[in-house]
Amino acid sequence: MTLHDFRYPAAILALIICYFFGDTYFISLLVIIALHSMAAIGLSLLSGYAGQISLGHAAFYGIGAYTSALIALHIGITPWITIPMSAVIAGIVAWAVGPIMFRLKGHHLAMATLAFGIIVHVALVEMRGITGGPNGMGGIPPLSFFGTPLLFDEDIFPLVWGVVIVMILLSENLIRSPHGFTLRAVGAREHVVPTLGSDTNKSKCLVLIISAVFAAIAGAIYGHYIGYLSPGPFSTTFSVKLLVMVAIGGFSRIWGVVLGVIFVTFLSEWLKPFGNVELLFYGALLIFTMIYCPNGLLSQLGVVASNAARNLRQRTPS
Amino acid sequence: MTSADTSALLTVRNVSMHFGGLKALNDVSFDVIKGEVLSLIGPNGAGKTTMLKIASGAQAPTTGKIAYKGTQIIGLSADRINRLGIGRTFQAAEIFDTMTVRENVMTGAVAREAGSVASSLLYWGRAKQRVEKLRQIADEALDLVGLGDMADLPAQDLPTGQQRLLGFARIFATGAELLLLDEPGGGLNAVEKTRLIETIRRLRDLGRTVILVEHDMSVIAQVSDRIVVLDQGLKISEGTPEKVKSDPKVIEAYLGTSASTVAPKPQKDQPAFRPVEMEVVDLTVTYGQTVAVDNVSLKLRTGEILTILGANGAGKSSLLKAIAGLEKPAGGTIKLRDKHIAGIPPDKIAALGLCLTPEGRALFPSLSVADNLALGRYVSLKRKRGLLGILALRQEDRDEIDAKREEIYQLFPILKERANQKAGTLSGGQGQMLAIGRSLMNDPSILMLDEPSLGLAPQVIDEILHKLEHLREQGLTLILVEQNASAALRIADRGYVFSSGRISMQGPAQDLLEDPSIRDAYLGGDDANTQTLRVNATQ
Ligand SMILES: Nc1ncnc2c1ncn2[C@@H]1O[C@H](COP(=O)(O)OP(=O)(O)OP(=O)(O)O)[C@@H](O)[C@H]1O
Ligand SMILES: [Mg+2]
Repeated sequence: MTLHDFRYPAAILALIICYFFGDTYFISLLVIIALHSMAAIGLSLLSGYAGQISLGHAAFYGIGAYTSALIALHIGITPWITIPMSAVIAGIVAWAVGPIMFRLKGHHLAMATLAFGIIVHVALVEMRGITGGPNGMGGIPPLSFFGTPLLFDEDIFPLVWGVVIVMILLSENLIRSPHGFTLRAVGAREHVVPTLGSDTNKSKCLVLIISAVFAAIAGAIYGHYIGYLSPGPFSTTFSVKLLVMVAIGGFSRIWGVVLGVIFVTFLSEWLKPFGNVELLFYGALLIFTMIYCPNGLLSQLGVVASNAARNLRQRTPS
Repeated sequence: MTSADTSALLTVRNVSMHFGGLKALNDVSFDVIKGEVLSLIGPNGAGKTTMLKIASGAQAPTTGKIAYKGTQIIGLSADRINRLGIGRTFQAAEIFDTMTVRENVMTGAVAREAGSVASSLLYWGRAKQRVEKLRQIADEALDLVGLGDMADLPAQDLPTGQQRLLGFARIFATGAELLLLDEPGGGLNAVEKTRLIETIRRLRDLGRTVILVEHDMSVIAQVSDRIVVLDQGLKISEGTPEKVKSDPKVIEAYLGTSASTVAPKPQKDQPAFRPVEMEVVDLTVTYGQTVAVDNVSLKLRTGEILTILGANGAGKSSLLKAIAGLEKPAGGTIKLRDKHIAGIPPDKIAALGLCLTPEGRALFPSLSVADNLALGRYVSLKRKRGLLGILALRQEDRDEIDAKREEIYQLFPILKERANQKAGTLSGGQGQMLAIGRSLMNDPSILMLDEPSLGLAPQVIDEILHKLEHLREQGLTLILVEQNASAALRIADRGYVFSSGRISMQGPAQDLLEDPSIRDAYLGGDDANTQTLRVNATQ
């Protein structure tokens, strides 16, 4: 296990400090950041390491949110069980669409994932009888812990960040495992992989399933935490936003992606007064990052900062 | 040999591959016997790579059958075929450039050591052991090809020759019993080739079977048990090396009859009195911590051929890239006539008439041969007419492109035949010809060629070198980086020898050719062997 890795204790320490000293607004932002991180980490495995761009990842987030909420509402099972159930369902959906989508490559694949995202979104809007359509559905039971419902940001905070840490750990494990090598090889030069005896489609489907499960868990927790669902948050805009987070974090850097999520979340808070201009801004940011910082905006800023520091140090002694 | 012969590991029967009207393979049959090294040779475009692609499942033949250990493999997926025991390397190195050298090779062994997904996610005991096992397999394979010390480097930092060895180690790590090697010697110098020969022999001793595609006849002569010769898709000869090299059909189609290739250059005029075309002073190129080019100064005089020799990784390609503006120098100056060009973007430099044909040719794979050539002309056209001039070509410009293209076609007739074929589907050698042709389209005043002979059949190399001399007489100045050192020195006026990023020796080409230390280090037995083979062939 990589628990000796200093980043885990450092992150946990930082979270504890935030938990005790942050105000309510700050904590609520951190909860959102955690939920988005779960989806973004999965997307980083899929689009970063394995190089399969997805423009429809919000669909899995939505599937997770709605299935968990619907099962809890109509059958009355505790969310502790419906959340994993929704993850399994999202996994099955991924398993079913993966082999079809991965017949396509490059732009064609991107278009197919976009279409998938739109189809799921339209379904959420149109299936009024079940989902409540654009009006949404309310009264979703919250998670509860020994009888106390987890209603407030402070209550859910340890849970969501715990899940994020576990997902980071699992992802890092996957990356350095034998399967991880194949994933990265698919991302680097797909046509070589079959000559090494591995089935590219299998490994792409595997990573799609994993990323779908991560996104579904995030969506499901989100539903029980907010208590109300409407199709709005599960549109293509959210898919693009996730991709921007992953890109800014450097695509194939698990921890970097979390930083990317933090960056974009604070940015979107700041952009809120401007309304829909938001999306325009993300587009521009994405293009800028792809051209000038292929390893991620933040790591590029890191490089610039460390160069500046070195220059400063070189200048001072002389 | 009949297919009933139990020792045949692979039997190829009546395999044909047609691309439209082109018969890349035409009813080819042969056997590969367990434990042998079978070489597949033939001119550029003969169908060698196509044969390997079919045998490894990357492509299905139009007709024909291939059996491996009695199992029909046509129609099986490539990964399935690899797990049966057939591994293939690529003509281009095709390394995973986001990984280290060791990780590249570890990836090769994954298919035999993957384990379950759950154990990968949790990374409990078993997964850890598996990774450890992969590491061991990888280190063994790296030692075998002599890349052991470079295991932790990012794979993309390796020079091209070593990248090809890496591809070789990677396929070895899959545990494949039958190895299909597509020009493993491309881009290696004489010393490294000796190492390659040893490696192939060691593989045979380990009981592996090899099908080797290679243009370097000295390598072929030293490792092959048997040879199959293809020409334009047809098998024209098969047998022991002795038998094949004296077969008149093979001599006619491939080996050629000239005993000595290019006559050494007589020292005629003194290039020292010619004007300096380009001067490089104290040039340094670094990648992170490593210094690829270390304070190098050199002069290039108008109308000369300058050759740069040196082992793989000595910094030759980095020097050329820095001059062409593709790599930003960390220090030093480059003066082209009166203009300082260090740090200027590459397109501006190309517009000044300084052109680089990079190693491993950067062609536009989805464009046709003719369009690739036309693109080579656009730089100078844009300078003359601006962007609009390119978007709407004038008739005179179109004629100019056609005329220039015709010149290139004269140089490489095969390109004319394939004018409409997509560049991505050309054979390795055809692609190399196109890359050289494209640089010439721009009428450069200085042309820098990085390993022009890579992947070319011996006869074609001779031809190209002759043609380079010809171009020089018409006023072109050339810098030539070549692993085929003896051939390069024969046509060059002067040479520089690079080692570890510095110039370790320089002088007139004739002197370098005769220098015993150079002979040992870079010329090796290579030259002598090729010639013996040719002399034998003429007898
Ligand atoms: N997809 C394709 N479409 C059309 N022609 C093709 C295609 N693939 C290969 N060819 C042609 O088939 C012929 C055989 O190609 P192949 O790559 O097998 O040659 P080769 O013997 O490996 O040559 P080299 O020594 O130059 O690598 C070439 O003329 C090539 O242009
Ligand atoms: Mg070939």
